[in-house]
Amino acid sequence: TQTAKSHTGRAAEHSDNSHLALQAKHTEQHEGRLYNIPLEELSAVFPHGLPHRFQQQVLTFNEARVMVRKPALELLAYLKGSNFSHPAVRYVIYGERGTGKTMTLCHVVHYCSRQGWLVLHIPDAHLWVKNCKELLQSSYNKDRLDQPLQASVWLKNFKASNERFLQEIKTQKKYMWGKRECTEEGRPLREVVEQGLARVRSASDAVGVLLRELKQQSHRGSFRLLVAVDGVNALWGRSTLRKEDKSPVCPEELTLVHNLRKMLMNDWSGGAIVTTLSQTGSLFKPSSAYTPQELLGKEGFDALDPFVPIPVPNYSPKEFESCYGYYLERRWLQHEKGQGWGGKRGMRVLGLELVSSKWAKKLDKLNTDFCTHRDAQSFAVPSVSLQGPRTFPPCASGLISSVCPCTPRVST
Amino acid sequence: MPVRWSRYNPSYLEPEVKKESYERPLEELSEEEREQMELKTVRPIKAALPTLSSSVFSDPMISKFTNMMMKSGNKVLARNLMSQTLENIKRKQLEKYHKAPENEKDTIECNPYVIFHQALKNCQPIIGLSSITRGGKTYQVPVPLTDNRKRFLAMKWLITECRENKHRRTMMPEKLSQELLQAFNNEGPVIKRKHVLHKMAEANRAYAHFRWW
Repeated sequence: TQTAKSHTGRAAEHSDNSHLALQAKHTEQHEGRLYNIPLEELSAVFPHGLPHRFQQQVLTFNEARVMVRKPALELLAYLKGSNFSHPAVRYVIYGERGTGKTMTLCHVVHYCSRQGWLVLHIPDAHLWVKNCKELLQSSYNKDRLDQPLQASVWLKNFKASNERFLQEIKTQKKYMWGKRECTEEGRPLREVVEQGLARVRSASDAVGVLLRELKQQSHRGSFRLLVAVDGVNALWGRSTLRKEDKSPVCPEELTLVHNLRKMLMNDWSGGAIVTTLSQTGSLFKPSSAYTPQELLGKEGFDALDPFVPIPVPNYSPKEFESCYGYYLERRWLQHEKGQGWGGKRGMRVLGLELVSSKWAKKLDKLNTDFCTHRDAQSFAVPSVSLQGPRTFPPCASGLISSVCPCTPRVST
Repeated sequence: MPVRWSRYNPSYLEPEVKKESYERPLEELSEEEREQMELKTVRPIKAALPTLSSSVFSDPMISKFTNMMMKSGNKVLARNLMSQTLENIKRKQLEKYHKAPENEKDTIECNPYVIFHQALKNCQPIIGLSSITRGGKTYQVPVPLTDNRKRFLAMKWLITECRENKHRRTMMPEKLSQELLQAFNNEGPVIKRKHVLHKMAEANRAYAHFRWW
């Protein structure tokens, strides 16, 4: 196994080959350790939704390892202890860019799907409010606009992850699709999804029907519903889409967004709603904004209020050690200087705020070029011009350090 | 004021950037090195280039390659492309490594710097051609190359190959990493170009006596 092959003992402490039956028993003692998801399960549970960097890492290392962190443990504890006869509780995961919000969400989604919940995972709500090639006028409501492409893509992925539920849950009403086709009462939801996939024009309406049915039937208790939305601030922001007469589109005029907003209300029971804020894909928001107040705006905050906020910080020293050990074991740190005491110490001594998800990229960038504080200080070459020790502007790479006097270099 | 690209007085010496050279104890140094150190205490020293770095991770070959890739002074872009190339190489090799059975794992090289250096070394021609005009006709005369010229030719060929012979939508790091890996294994279009040059030099051996240097 991989732990046996690790060339430092550190990796054996930090990676955990525990099978997922143990996942339910993740507690504080497991904090900082990495657990393995088998690749077949990964493609079944996450047809969409994993961050791009993580997917690349899965391909490179030929395994999927997720780190167990405090925010995720907190969320899982809340979910385990929640009362499902009460209205659904809303959780909002927020934090600065690259700290691991999407990964926390994916951890929770994976846990819930292992426990047998029905997971409604919207990978990125921002994709529904920007870059949409086709906008059709909705047949159900004249004022609204349909998005056939986005809806059909989402339906395909939803079907891939939740096959057995679609067979079991039955519709409670008769639905007419256009003039001739209809879905009778009591048919499995699968037919609704297939109708949406076959007739792309009615895909958004199929999504709406699906959400409505799930919401009405979740209180019965035959299944638990998890609504996981990444980038929920898109639903209450602005959109870059325009109608044919070039007037801007408000998000509530889109069918998908309208139905999703109804889903996020806490007027149903028998499940939970976990959402993530995201500045990276957001429209018309400054890059320094990360709090719920800033990103959701007044409308969104009032709609989501009351919610449980879950802040996600950068890596703690223990998590950093664990991640570093994992990368060493997987031979990601190839440069001989980066592996030794000097390189690692350099990263810590600089007082860098390590940004979790961009860690591999930053390590590489660091590997290619940085100067250690110790280097600069112990180095008495008269000709190398150093900037003043405390006047260093933040690096363009996004690392914030208060201590590093880098030599003036063109690219940073 | 003496700036790097102004004409320095010949008494100015080059700066020494590497930390290791200052950490050696006095006894280890030979006579010339001791004299050099004495000289540095009295002579003025030129300003270091902005691209010169004391970091353990900086590599003069990589810097030179990045400069050659740069267009219209856009060093930011060139450096990003270079680091993405190195990352791509590492990812491809690691993927192969993790999928390979145990006995083959030692043969797979994962360090992108090692691959880069080896690939460049494999692309360097040994002998070059120079055009010499005798009696109205120009002959291609085989000529030995200096180290600098060999390195330059290898890098130039790699970059021109990657710029010209790729699909419009392929990114430069993707194509460059592919070429570097092929050159590392002694295959690919750049190695072919080197072999073509060697063959031309071999074919034109008869004119070798035209060279007077």
